[in-house]
Amino acid sequence: MTEPLLSVRDLQKHYPIKKGWLNRQVGAARAVDGISFDIQEGETLGIVGESGCGKSTAATSIVRLEEPTAGEVIFNGSGRGGASRNADGTHPNDVTRFDRRELKRFRRDVQMIFQDPSSSFDPRMPIGDTVAEMLIVHGMNDKHRRRAIVEDLLERVGLSGSDYDRYPHEFSGGQKQRIALARALVLNPSLIVADEPVSALDVSVKAEILGLIRDLQAEFDLSLLFISHDMSVIREICDRVAVMYLGEIVEIGDTETVFADPQHPYTEALLSAIPVPDPRSRTEQIELTGTVPSPTNPPSGCRFHTRCHRVIQPDGTDIDQESWRGLLNLRDSIAADEVDIEQIRELAQASEPEVTVETQIRSEFGIASLADSVLDSAVTEAIEQLAADRQAVAAETLAEVVWTPCEKREPPETTHSDGHVSRCLLYEHDQPETVAADD
Amino acid sequence: MATERPDRFDQIDWDEIAGSTGRELSVNLKLMLLTGTPVVLLGLYDHFVVGAREATFERLGEDLGLASQFEAIGLTFDPSSLDILFVFTLFLFLWFVLLPLYQNPRMTRYYWKEFKRNRPAVVSLLWLGLIFIGGVIGPFFISMPEQNLIAAYQPPVFGSVDQVHVSQCMGSIENGRCHGTWEYPLGTNRGGEDVFAAVVHGMTVTMQIAFITTTIVAAIGITFGTVSAYAGGWADEIMMRFTDIILSFPTLLFFLLILYIYGAGLGMFILVFAAFGWGGTARYVRSKALSVSEEEFVKATRISGAGTYRIVRRHIVPNTASSVITQLTLIIPGFLLAEAQLAYLGIGDTAVPTWGQLISSGRNAIDFAPWIVLVPGTVLFFTILAFNFLGDALLDALNPKAESEAGGE
Repeated sequence: MTEPLLSVRDLQKHYPIKKGWLNRQVGAARAVDGISFDIQEGETLGIVGESGCGKSTAATSIVRLEEPTAGEVIFNGSGRGGASRNADGTHPNDVTRFDRRELKRFRRDVQMIFQDPSSSFDPRMPIGDTVAEMLIVHGMNDKHRRRAIVEDLLERVGLSGSDYDRYPHEFSGGQKQRIALARALVLNPSLIVADEPVSALDVSVKAEILGLIRDLQAEFDLSLLFISHDMSVIREICDRVAVMYLGEIVEIGDTETVFADPQHPYTEALLSAIPVPDPRSRTEQIELTGTVPSPTNPPSGCRFHTRCHRVIQPDGTDIDQESWRGLLNLRDSIAADEVDIEQIRELAQASEPEVTVETQIRSEFGIASLADSVLDSAVTEAIEQLAADRQAVAAETLAEVVWTPCEKREPPETTHSDGHVSRCLLYEHDQPETVAADD
Repeated sequence: MATERPDRFDQIDWDEIAGSTGRELSVNLKLMLLTGTPVVLLGLYDHFVVGAREATFERLGEDLGLASQFEAIGLTFDPSSLDILFVFTLFLFLWFVLLPLYQNPRMTRYYWKEFKRNRPAVVSLLWLGLIFIGGVIGPFFISMPEQNLIAAYQPPVFGSVDQVHVSQCMGSIENGRCHGTWEYPLGTNRGGEDVFAAVVHGMTVTMQIAFITTTIVAAIGITFGTVSAYAGGWADEIMMRFTDIILSFPTLLFFLLILYIYGAGLGMFILVFAAFGWGGTARYVRSKALSVSEEEFVKATRISGAGTYRIVRRHIVPNTASSVITQLTLIIPGFLLAEAQLAYLGIGDTAVPTWGQLISSGRNAIDFAPWIVLVPGTVLFFTILAFNFLGDALLDALNPKAESEAGGE
């Protein structure tokens, strides 16, 4: 396998949370918590995930707009290839260790496109000057040459050279994204990081810009790191895709493989959300319950277990999956003291015919009457305690019998096929090494 | 291909170019250096070489051995250091405000289209233009008003005054009333000084106050605000607390103190009030700079490899400029009113003819010679009104976003 253009290893970005007048650090928001991937020359890698999962932070950390907390970003482009590690284990091509001069050189090789076309241009500068500024910064003093280059480039991205002197407010969103492409291209980089470049655009304009990106990529042999929350956009443009959840990559693989055969339950959920243009098709939409946990205090074990629809049941428990999800939700809600018993009581009394508090809670959390008598009586008891205003006891009662292996252990990586890797405990036993390690 | 169109972005040999710094002086800065340097040199020369009773240009002519030529073309002025400073700020205004408007015609047209929708502001601009032109070139054509006790209390042309108040009427006397003449179009005051000449020279003082204070306030305020915003942490904290002190400083009392200890001219007035007047601007610039620095275009510039200085100079400052200009047009009236009030109380600079002083000189004769108070009072009133209208209109014209957010469009 050839040396990748960019290889990210265990990248972390934590934002410290400070309190008090001494500004003592009391915690950290783990926006990006150890992600690794490679980008080959000419390849497009997509990063997909919900908003707040850390994908934009990953992008800005990779290009060093923000200093990463830990990890390596090794860039092998433009004559840097073939380097081997130094004696102390650091890599000479590690972007996170670049000094000023190397970083400025690196800026010519890696450029970025931003999400919001309306704020990514200085409103008081003609767009031509904005693009040409890149050339000035890197030392091109010839004014006429700068102008000629920028005018040529504006034509290549589908505008006209005479647009040089116009201001950002005179362009539409799609046109601005074309200019953003011109700005990213003008230094002739080998990698472009595109942070949701089409999310703010109409569907038809979106397709145009994606087409333009593809054409330019083929013409100038660009690599792309493409960040989006939109699975359909990813499918259209990416060779490989990495799915991020709460600062971690949960699944990575060739786009076709991942879309055809998603392994991680989170990827399944994301894929099921893509609308299918067929009125007769009735694909099951997977609805994720619960809220996105805060990156300051991520869930233990597998970070997705609080919302997973395929959360594992412990040995000896075998109930239907929906009720099991409901049980875990009920346990977490009671532990967090989020169950408003008064409101539930009112709802129960108001319903027709009147039901008991227990029935009301069970229907709200989707817990059917359970075949497993131990669990079922635990639920009944917990609700009784809750109704008697003993929240702590109720929480304890449930926690004793309701637990999942997903919250106990971090899932190891499982390789499904060449380059298709996911992290989920469901596949733990498919992997011979991990079984051996566990035993 | 490469020879046909060498100016394509993917055919640049960066290794050849990347060595140079990319620094070049803009036309504006070159012109400023070209015109500003002689003014600064003249100022230093005036301060260190020319004696108190010598006229600057006469002495300069002697020193250069060109005395006769200087006299032949009428170069015999004796500008005060305030005049020289005024000329310097005028050059700043010319090269960094007016020239950019010419250089960016598209933006200028856009601003003008927004601006001219506000009719009172257009009238205000005309009025201020009049004051500006009168203040800059008026003194070359109209000499300083001189005391002439015989011609005291002459009425303005088309006006008249009871004969008993006038020692010698310059115009015709009809029915015991003295009528005005074109010699004193706006009448004279108790000392026989021509009110019209005094108003024109007052325009110069007004424009000097407006331009010099604005320059000082803008320079300190913008520097302080951007540095504070960009430094962050303790530096930011200390700088902003210092700004709080400046804002709560009793400038007027401090000025009175200086006045009683050292005596104070107009120069001292401008210096003291400008030195304590930049607090609001600094705060404003800081908050604006903080919000601008979060915009994506700043990130995009940072990722181009540009240094902090370039980002601040090219992107942050221009984007705070619109609010700063607006804010400055709104603090100028404060300075003008303060000067007029001090002059009216008789603790202004008696060596320069300001509107406030003229108003003050007419307060004893207000019952029979109201023009002495009314003429400069009206001019002052409209000037202050004009600055306020202008500030409002500039806020709308330069900040199209602010307007649309307020539901204007």
